[in-house]
Amino acid sequence: MRDGIAVAKQGLPAVALVTTLFEPQGRFVAKASGMSAIPQVLLPHPVAGSGAEAMATLAAALAPRLWETLQGRGRDGSA
Amino acid sequence: MSFLEALDEADAQEQLYALGCTDGLPVIIPTEARVARMVLASGLDGNLVLGAMGPAGGAASVEALATAAVMAGCPPELMPVLCAVAEAVLDPAFDLTEMQATTHCTAPLILLSGPVVEALGFASGFGALGPGHRANATLGRALRLAMINIGGGRPGESDMALLGHPGKFTYCLAEAAEASPFPSLGVSLGFDPEDSVVTVIGAEAPQSLIFSATGDLTQDRDGLLSILAAGLAGPASNNAVLTGGQAVLVLNPDHAALLAAAGLDRRALQAELQTRCEVPGALPSQGSFQREGRRQAFRAPEDILVLVAGGSGLYSMAMPSWCAGPHQNRAVSRRVDLNPACEVPF
Repeated sequence: MRDGIAVAKQGLPAVALVTTLFEPQGRFVAKASGMSAIPQVLLPHPVAGSGAEAMATLAAALAPRLWETLQGRGRDGSA
Repeated sequence: MSFLEALDEADAQEQLYALGCTDGLPVIIPTEARVARMVLASGLDGNLVLGAMGPAGGAASVEALATAAVMAGCPPELMPVLCAVAEAVLDPAFDLTEMQATTHCTAPLILLSGPVVEALGFASGFGALGPGHRANATLGRALRLAMINIGGGRPGESDMALLGHPGKFTYCLAEAAEASPFPSLGVSLGFDPEDSVVTVIGAEAPQSLIFSATGDLTQDRDGLLSILAAGLAGPASNNAVLTGGQAVLVLNPDHAALLAAAGLDRRALQAELQTRCEVPGALPSQGSFQREGRRQAFRAPEDILVLVAGGSGLYSMAMPSWCAGPHQNRAVSRRVDLNPACEVPF
């Protein structure tokens, strides 16, 4: 979340990727940073440790949604 | 400052607990008069803000810190120490915001060295990390309560530690200078011998390291060094897997004396340990962190903070660290001003 906020604060299109279990924490950090409206895409939990192949599959499935979100459409969708 | 209204202190306890303002244990109710007295003990203006504390970004004012100190049960004379500790954890190099949010169990370990140890009664001997020592217990607890109420670190909401460890209640240790063959930790960090120094590092729970000497100094030197290195960067530690972080080594007086007798000063000891904390090319625990080639767990000898504390016996301790965050959660030290301008009326 902080990485997404840091990018957004530079005026660049940004989307924060957050796993479902970390969604409350993401909301907390976004609010504390004054950027509650930062686009987020929810990922299944856990992602870490799922292996390169699973990560690539997830990335491929997410790419269209990320692209939509970066263009200002389809915010807060889940993977 | 905002105020709660309560029927009595018991009602106030319940309200503070329900609001998530405590560490789960009863607190001293931070009434206006108690907080004002604690601010006075700091020698600073209550409105002075030492920094923004993450992840909530709350203003770490002297008054807010004084509130935490009251709740924790600190004697007023600890306020200058708490202010120095707060300055240290708010240094960007400490990565407090990220540290509060991580899934790792890390907790800020406060190390004290110099005159402050004796002046304020910090424990450094037998059972120093255990119960019964008010200065250690309340200073560490005050920092935790500040991290909860100013920084907004609450389990499962913003503090995502999978389990945490008991040091998240309080984690504070003083150096036993009188039992140490080395100059003080503060001096090793560049401070003057007369300086009182606080050092903070994001640390795991202490790992006990047993070593029983044989009387053969050459053999004992090598054996003890190998045990200490194994504790500092075991294959399941972040220090071994992530590398590049720091760690704390607490030598009991006997182990310190053995190493000194074997010709090792602190710097030589740190260098020996840094060399021995070598990570093989692959570890079972590394998973997606897998990297090629042998490498050192610590970039530099001084990344292993060495101090003497505890009683005489077989056990020393290692506190591996988190090693993550933008600055890899660097240890930060600050000098303590033990002579604030104000005296606290009794």
